[in-house]
Formats: sequence, structure tokens, C-alpha cells
Amino acid sequence: MRLLIRRITDKFFTVLTSASVILLAAALLVVLGPMLLRGAGAVVFDGTVEFRRMQLDLFNRGEADSIEDEVSRAAACRKVVYETIDKFKHGIDVEELSNEAKRIYRLFGRQLRYEGVTGDEYRRVRSLARELRNRLLEAFGSNDRALIERNVDRVLRYRGHRDFADSAASGFFTLAEDFLTSVESIDLNKRRQYADSLRQAEEIIFRLLGPRPDDALPALAMERYGATRWDMAQQLLDDLLWSKQWVEAEPGRPMVKVRTSRAGQFAGTGLEGLFKYVEDNLETMLRPRFTFYWQYLIDDSTPGHYFGGVGPEVLGTLLITLLSMVLVFPLGVVSAAYLVECASDTAAVRIIRMCINTLAGVPSIVFGLFGLAFFVLFLIPLFGGPSKPCILTACLTLAVLTLPVMIRASEEAIRSVPQTYKEASLGLGAGRFVTFVKVTLPAALPGILTGAILSLSRVAGETAPVLFTGAVALGPPPDSLFDPTRTLSYGSYDIAVGDRLAMMVPHKQYGMVVTLVLLILCLNGIAIVLRARIFRKLKGQ
Amino acid sequence: MQKGDNDMLISALESKASKDSITSSVSLGAKASLGNGNKTPDCSCRVIKSENFSFFYGRNAGVKGITMEVYPCSVTAIIGPSGCGKSTFLRSINRINDLIPHTRTEGRLLVNGHNVYDKNTNLVNLRRQVGIVFQKPNPFPKSIFDNIAYGPRLHGVRNRSQLQQIVENSLRAAALWDEVKDDLKKSALSLSGGQQQRVCIARALATEPGILLMDEPCSALDPIATGKIEDLIDRLQSDYTIVIVTHNMQQAARVSRRTAFFCLGRLVEYDLTAKIFRNPGKKQTEDYVTGRFG
Repeated sequence: MRLLIRRITDKFFTVLTSASVILLAAALLVVLGPMLLRGAGAVVFDGTVEFRRMQLDLFNRGEADSIEDEVSRAAACRKVVYETIDKFKHGIDVEELSNEAKRIYRLFGRQLRYEGVTGDEYRRVRSLARELRNRLLEAFGSNDRALIERNVDRVLRYRGHRDFADSAASGFFTLAEDFLTSVESIDLNKRRQYADSLRQAEEIIFRLLGPRPDDALPALAMERYGATRWDMAQQLLDDLLWSKQWVEAEPGRPMVKVRTSRAGQFAGTGLEGLFKYVEDNLETMLRPRFTFYWQYLIDDSTPGHYFGGVGPEVLGTLLITLLSMVLVFPLGVVSAAYLVECASDTAAVRIIRMCINTLAGVPSIVFGLFGLAFFVLFLIPLFGGPSKPCILTACLTLAVLTLPVMIRASEEAIRSVPQTYKEASLGLGAGRFVTFVKVTLPAALPGILTGAILSLSRVAGETAPVLFTGAVALGPPPDSLFDPTRTLSYGSYDIAVGDRLAMMVPHKQYGMVVTLVLLILCLNGIAIVLRARIFRKLKGQ
Repeated sequence: MQKGDNDMLISALESKASKDSITSSVSLGAKASLGNGNKTPDCSCRVIKSENFSFFYGRNAGVKGITMEVYPCSVTAIIGPSGCGKSTFLRSINRINDLIPHTRTEGRLLVNGHNVYDKNTNLVNLRRQVGIVFQKPNPFPKSIFDNIAYGPRLHGVRNRSQLQQIVENSLRAAALWDEVKDDLKKSALSLSGGQQQRVCIARALATEPGILLMDEPCSALDPIATGKIEDLIDRLQSDYTIVIVTHNMQQAARVSRRTAFFCLGRLVEYDLTAKIFRNPGKKQTEDYVTGRFG
């Protein structure tokens, strides 16, 4: 009976421990898995011709010839889109048409004067042109189809007139013709709605395909290129095909999103076919291709993180981490050595020990404020430097942050070295210092390295301390230790609380966070391998 | 056995001139003294004398009132039941007991004529002159070469070939050379228990001490390894003064010339081994060696 109970409890123990390990692994997978997948999307994705164009312009990457070739191939397809839109616009953009008519009238007048027509002849021809212009303006501005047809008809009667042949006034006739054709198919009363919807659609097409080939380049880099990623393009396409509105389904209940087809909005007009055309030909217009953008890890980013990579952030994080480890490692080991070897068990030493243990649990933002107050505002000016956050202050703050952990781990490691080694070394005539350096320290190295690994992970991911003491969100790479720098941790925070830009580039946010996680994993991996080697050597393999 | 034979035997042993040392060809240079600049001691000066020596752990006495003299170039065994102060006395000789806090001593403990508990004793030189081997083999987690070269390097030998010669000599003296000569870079922790203990002995011998202290060196080893180490002690005794603490009476009888019997912190009897085991003077000794207690 006893044996059975023991067997059951043993089994239970095994099951419990394995279950908790599995649970932990599953939790990690659930938390990290999607994040890693999404973050991988920042490096591995389908990039469009816009992306390749952007890479060429901003980072000088890729062959100009092949990209130009691609652009010209896509241009033919895109032209149809632009033409359709332009033609439709003529029918509804009253202001533009009116301006065009006035412009033609002025041009014609200038032409007359240039040809030397003067006096009565000039006035007569001019007043005729004026009448044409006014008829057109009236037609443009009215909603009455009959009136429009009448006016346009009357204007077109003058097409073959000798006064207007081969002159700028022929522009009137093209304008009238185009207007008639486009007006044929639209509902004149809905011109306002058409204008609004068209504006929305145009904006989306602008974000999809970039600026038109003959337009002036916009000032912001992010507006110079269309959709650089195929998944973003797909999303924009969806926005183009369906307009989404929040309507109140029932009074008092939450609002629901209602999708209406834009093609339906423009039913019966020349623009209706545009949407299907874009849907069918988007691939030809954007030419997506599998892209492995590993340069994400080393590229600088355009302001706002819209394009580019996280290069400066990676550099900043690495710099700060390694530098603070360089500071904390010797300090921690020496302090631990003092506490173990030299400190006698007095009240003062006990108080110091208690303080170190307490400091290990202080929140990191407190250290950030301390770093700001002490290092940035007090210590650096004391040595004559400028009182601004920089890499040096950030490293000092982070070193102070992880010092307690390092001291604790080192102390445990040094204490766990068997007394016999010390005895053997002393028995051979070594002094205490030599014994420590040549025997105790090498034997304690695995434990000390464990402490170093823990410190490393913490330092690499800390945001609050560097917030005040050394990190910035934008700026050039640092020139010296007295410059601030960008870091992955602070960058992630900044994007998350930033403006709408974050929503437009979610893959950048995921990418930055995943880069941080992978960086820490790599550093940890190196340190663990190092520690394992030392450990094996100590054990005698 | 008659007393006369023993005496002759003893005097024959004691008047033996020092032979060529096994570790002769390369030495560590001029041997330093124990703090007052005397000349190099020879065999007849490798002597330990205890004058009413007591050692206290806090308030408890480890050993009390020990007065004895250890004769040079021979093996002296210290036997006794557990907790009788054998190891305490042994470890006081080269002041390894200093590692323990809250201890104090009374009386004098002289090594080569100099009180080791004197204020101006040069501990480094003392420990160079008096080597120690512990109960559990404790080679450093380094290679065999580095283990043995640790002592000489400490005392200033930098020349690579010199170190190699010293290491070879020490390993030969410890009867380990043939077994490890192929790979001295191997970690010392990868050897068997007996080999590790011999590495520790070689390490202690590398600094060319005159006196060798051994604190139950074979208690953690199997009989074959024990036999090898006992042979080793036998060969070393002509050049070193060896004090061995053991709870194995047969070992004491096999290996030592003289034996001291400790009990409850006091020295009960100290005499030739033959006498202690065949014809002990005190009743306590007789009870112990015949197994009636202990």
C-alpha cells in the first residue's frame, strides 16, 4: 500500500513539473510567436516597384536601369487609371472647367494682340469669344441638362468659324465636347457627392501608386512613393473598393461599420469601371516581388520611421549595453570579492549588504530620475561638460541599476567556491590576493557570468532609465560618448505613443520590438556559450 | 624486540647523511628562511618541536599542552580516535588553521627553530618550507601542469623549461609521471581519485619543502591507490620529514618510524612505532591499539 502511494506521488510530481514546463513554453509561444511572425514581416515581405524605387532613391540600392524599366512597364497600366479619373473629373469639377475657360479666353486675347489685330476687328472677335466663354460658364454651372445641351450646341456651331480656326479658341470646343460626353453619363444633381467620393478615391490612389509621373515631387519623403508593401497595397485596395462608415444601427446601441461599394456609388458613370480595373491590374501596376530586406537591421530610417530600418537604434542599444557591462562587471566582482573575502561581520557590513539587496528591487524609473539628477545635472557639469543627456550618463545610470544584481550573483558564486581550493593555494605559500585572483576567481567565473547574463538582458531592454539620461527618438548617429543616441527600447515606446504614423506602419513597430528581443537573445546566447565552455573546462572535460 | 636493537636502528637512521634528492637537478634557487635570514637548512634541521602548545576554537580546546619533537628525515604518524585533535595539531604547523575565525593559541610551536606563531613569521616562506596534503584530493580546476607549476610560479620561476623540469621531477617523485606524461594539459579533475591525490602530493613537492604534512591522505582512496601512496611515502622519507595523521592503525604501523597517540586533545604517548604497537607504555594506548575503544 505504501509503495503504491509512493508511486502515485512520484508520478504526480513528474506530471506536475513537466506540466509547468510545458505551460511555460506554451505561454512563451503564444506571446512571442505572433510577435515574431509579425516582426519577421518587417524583413520578409512582398515588396512592390515603389519599394525598389524608394530603396534606389534613399539608399542607393539596386540597379537604376532595371527599376526604370519596371516603372515604365507599370506606367502604361497606370495611365489608364489616370486618364479615366481625369475624364470623369472634367464632368464634375466645375471650378476647374471655369478656370480653364477663362484661361482660354485670355490666351485668345493675347494671341489676337500678338497677331496685330486691332480696333473694331479686335473688339468684334473678342466679344464673340466672350460670348462663347460665358455660354460655357453657364453650362458648367448649371444642373439643367437641357440648358447644358443647348449652350454646348450653340458653342460648337462656331467650330468651323474662320475667326477661331487655328487659334487658342479651339480649346473652347474641345472643352465643350469633353464636357458633353462626361455629362452624358452622370447625374447632375449628385455632382457634389461625386466630388467628395472622387476626392477620397483619388487620395487612396495617390497612396497606392504614388504621385503622378508629371506632377511635382511632394516635399515629404513618405508622399513620394506609393504602397511599398504588397500587404499594405491590398489594404489600400480594400479601402478603395469599399467605403466604410459608422452608422447607428439602433438607437442606443454601439455604432456598426457599414461597407458600401464605391463602384456602386459611381454607378452609370465613366468611373464605375475604374475600380474593377484597379482590382484586376494592381499586380501589373505595382509588380510585387518577394523581398528579403535584411538591411532593415542596418538602415537608417526616414523621420517618423515611415521608411527604412532600425540601424541607428540597434547601434545605440548595442553601444549602451556593452559599455554599461564594461562598467558594471569589474565593479560588481570587486565589490563581491570585498564582501566575501575581506569584510568582517560588523554592523556596517550588514547594513551595506541590506542596502544592496534592497536596491536590487528598486523600480527602474527611480534609477532614471536619479541618473538625471545626479549624472546629467550634477556630475557632468562638475567636470565641466555640458549638462545634457548622453551615452555616458545613460551607461552610468544603467550600471548603477544592475550593480546590485551583479554583486549578489558574484557573491554567491565566490562563496560557492570550495574552501579546499583556498586551503590548497594558501598551503603552497600564496597570499590572499594571489589566491583570489588565480584560484577563486577562475573557479567562480561561471556563476559570475550568470550574473552578467542577467544584467545584460535587463540593461538591453530598459526604457525608463535611458528615457531621461541618454535616449532620443530622432537624430543623427552619435559622434562621441557625449551625444545622445536612439535605442530600440525607447524607439518602440515612442512609436507606440506617437501619432497616426504608428498605425500606418504597424510592421515597423513589430519589427523594432522583435529586433530588440532577438538582439537580447543573441547577446544571451553568446554569453551562455561562453559560460558553458568555461564551466566545462572547470569540470575537467 | 629488545630495546637495544631499536636504539641502534634509530641512531643508524638518524645519522644518515642527506642523499641526493630526487628533485635535485633544478631547484628553486636559494631557499628563503622563516623570517630571520638564516642559511639553507639541511636534513638535520628539518625538525618540528612543540612546547606546551595549545590551540583553542573559541573557548573549546582543540589540543592542550602538546610537547613533542618530530625527528627529521623520517615518518611520524599521529593516531587517535575522532575528534582528538590530530588534524588540529597538524594544521597548526603551517598555520593553515588561520582560515578559521575566532581561534587562539598558547605555548610555542617551533619549525626549524622558529616559532611559527610569532608575530613576524613570514607565512609565505613557512608554507613553502612546509607542504601539506589534505584528506580529500583537491587539485585546482586547471591542467595537471598548471597545478604542479602553481607553487614554483608563485615563488618566481618563469622560465618555461625550468618549470617543465620541475613538473617532471615532482611527478616522478610522486610516482605519477608514467601515467600522465603524455598529456599534461589535461584537466587534473579528469583523473581518478588516487591519481588526483598524487597530483596534490606532486604539487606539494614542487616547492621543495623540507617538511611534508599529510592529513589522512588515503582515507578517500581505494586499497590499491592507498598502497601506491604508502610506497611513495616510503621512498620520500629519506629526503623529507613527513608527519602523517591517520586513523588507520595498520597504515601507521606500516609506514611510520614513530607514532604519537592523541586522545581528547592531549598527547598520551609518543614513541617508536614498534613499541607503541607491541608494547605500549600507557593503558589508554594499549586499549586503543588493541581495539577496545576508538
